Amino acid sequence: MRITAEKKAATRERILDVATELFRSNGYDATTTRDIAVAAEIATGTLFNYFSTKEAIVGALADAAVVRARVEQANIAAESLEEALFAMIVAELRQFKPHRKFIAPLLETWLCPIAESVDSNGGNLSRVEHLEMVDSLAREHGLGELAPVALQLYWTLYTGVLAFWAADKSPKQEDTLALLDESMAMFAGWLRSEQSESK
Amino acid sequence: MTPNISELIAALPESGDESKATEAAALPAALAKTSLRPIPIGRLSRLTTLGTLQAKIGAAYLFHWLRGWFRNAEANERNLAETHWQTALRLLDSMSYLRGAVMKAGQTLANFPDIAPQQFVDTLQQLHAEAPPMHWSLLSEMVRNELGDDPENVFAEFDKQAFAAASLGQVHRARLKTGEEVAVKIQYPGIARAIQSDFRNFFLFLLPSKLNRDWEYLKDQFNDLRQRLEQETDYELEAANLAKARALFRDADGIAIPRVFPQYSTARVLTMELLDGLHITPFMERGPTQEERNEVARKMMRAWYRMMYSGRMFYADFHPGNFLVLDDGRLGVVDFGFIMMLDDDEWERYRRFDRAQTTGRPEDRVAVVKEWSEIGDNETDRLRVLDEYAQWCWLSRYDGGDFDFGDEADFRLGVDLFMEMIRKRYTRSRPNTPTISRCQFGWRSVFYQLKAKFDIRSIAEEEIKATDWDRSDYA
Repeated sequence: MRITAEKKAATRERILDVATELFRSNGYDATTTRDIAVAAEIATGTLFNYFSTKEAIVGALADAAVVRARVEQANIAAESLEEALFAMIVAELRQFKPHRKFIAPLLETWLCPIAESVDSNGGNLSRVEHLEMVDSLAREHGLGELAPVALQLYWTLYTGVLAFWAADKSPKQEDTLALLDESMAMFAGWLRSEQSESK
Repeated sequence: MTPNISELIAALPESGDESKATEAAALPAALAKTSLRPIPIGRLSRLTTLGTLQAKIGAAYLFHWLRGWFRNAEANERNLAETHWQTALRLLDSMSYLRGAVMKAGQTLANFPDIAPQQFVDTLQQLHAEAPPMHWSLLSEMVRNELGDDPENVFAEFDKQAFAAASLGQVHRARLKTGEEVAVKIQYPGIARAIQSDFRNFFLFLLPSKLNRDWEYLKDQFNDLRQRLEQETDYELEAANLAKARALFRDADGIAIPRVFPQYSTARVLTMELLDGLHITPFMERGPTQEERNEVARKMMRAWYRMMYSGRMFYADFHPGNFLVLDDGRLGVVDFGFIMMLDDDEWERYRRFDRAQTTGRPEDRVAVVKEWSEIGDNETDRLRVLDEYAQWCWLSRYDGGDFDFGDEADFRLGVDLFMEMIRKRYTRSRPNTPTISRCQFGWRSVFYQLKAKFDIRSIAEEEIKATDWDRSDYA
């Protein structure tokens, strides 16, 4: 029996849907890959054909959220790099919101600033795509191509904001907004000072 | 490099120095050094363009006020205090939201071009024109969080450009889908809790500098200011104040207080009816007649007394930015974030004030002054200065008749007395005294700017008569 590409995509979607539901109702830690496979009505072995780990599932969920965030973000005309970055991340946060409670394991894996190789099924895409976006925004706002150190610095700030957000107890997570705003302003300010120093 | 406290103190005007202008002008420059930072942070330059400048001038007043505690202290005491103060100063410098609260004192000064050093006036005037700190993406995220949707969807129209900087956020024009023109005040996220923790730290650093008895009073006064600042972050409270004040006025009063739209208001967003009119400076630029100016001042005073006597609301934020001369001639009163509600105890105290103000008898006044500032029988100079100050404050009220608020010499007298109080560290007083003094100077400064000449007493008496206040014990 041949498995068509559509069928494969549908199974993948189903896995992601039931995983979201299980994470939400039982918590991330208490949910096993077996639980997910059962709920998706597939064999555990089959599940691993799609996602090698539980983290990879969360990574894929994040990827999907990022894609939705980009669509939402497309029509924002930012006046500065800090505003553009703020708008990009805030759009992501809005999409991540249903997964806020289990963003922590992501921070330990594919979002981790020291992560080197990332599962190709999830995570890597968002990270690379995200950094490319940052780079292109920087160019758009006249701050040139970003050096690896700048990207690393950015990523540290970004994951720091995400970590803060995951545990933010302020009303409507308003403290995250302030931190994000400050962080992006700091990054853009630093870029500008680097640029003016090198001139 | 942060200048040390000795340098700051050295930069302050000398006690008893009558030619304060030049030193005072050098002061912001000395304080300006405190904002030099290792990394040029965009946020700081953005959020604090208003903030640090104002906070710096605020700091200038603060140190002016506090320096006396150090003058005669032992060197090691001074050094210890210096370390703490340095930290406190740095903290103060970063408390950009103080631009609204502390710096209304600065705005007040800016109203006296003849009295304040020119540099102060220039700096302060620039502040009004500065761009507000929130960019559009942050702002719309706040609206989305608070009102559930993008500003463009919640409102029929929403002006992306803020038209005013509020003390802890900014104000935008918008139009409701039902057609009403509104002003939407939006608070910077997290500011309310930031104030609480900052002030906690601030006190912690200042605590070791406790050097004499009056210090305790000063600490209580700071605490009072902190509470008021915290109140200013509570837009739900402000909405309640607005509604309460609005209910006190009738059409015939010619006084407009904006209506609140509760369905578009939360603890962080306040949507009010937009009042269109001129602030005092542009109003004066139009060259109004003496009678037009008097009428504006009368309405201000009536609004203030109405809130005080009928509402037991002490409108503390009396500064020109909070009043508008509307196109139809009415007076608009805006910004109700800084209201002291008078409880029964406080009201009793004001009653004794009123009695002294009404009778005009020196012995009544002295009794109130002594009680208010806990002056002992042997403190003759303290009593003299504070009584002269009270006389200056109340003269226009108990004298009756048209009082010339544009008289510069009279105004200078008040400023000098106030400075003398600060210089001599006569700060022992009730916690809310700074708030009351600020209000007192606030309305004197607005009337001075208006060059108004009118009878305060008759307005006060009319407003008191409208309440069923028993004053039979005044005779």
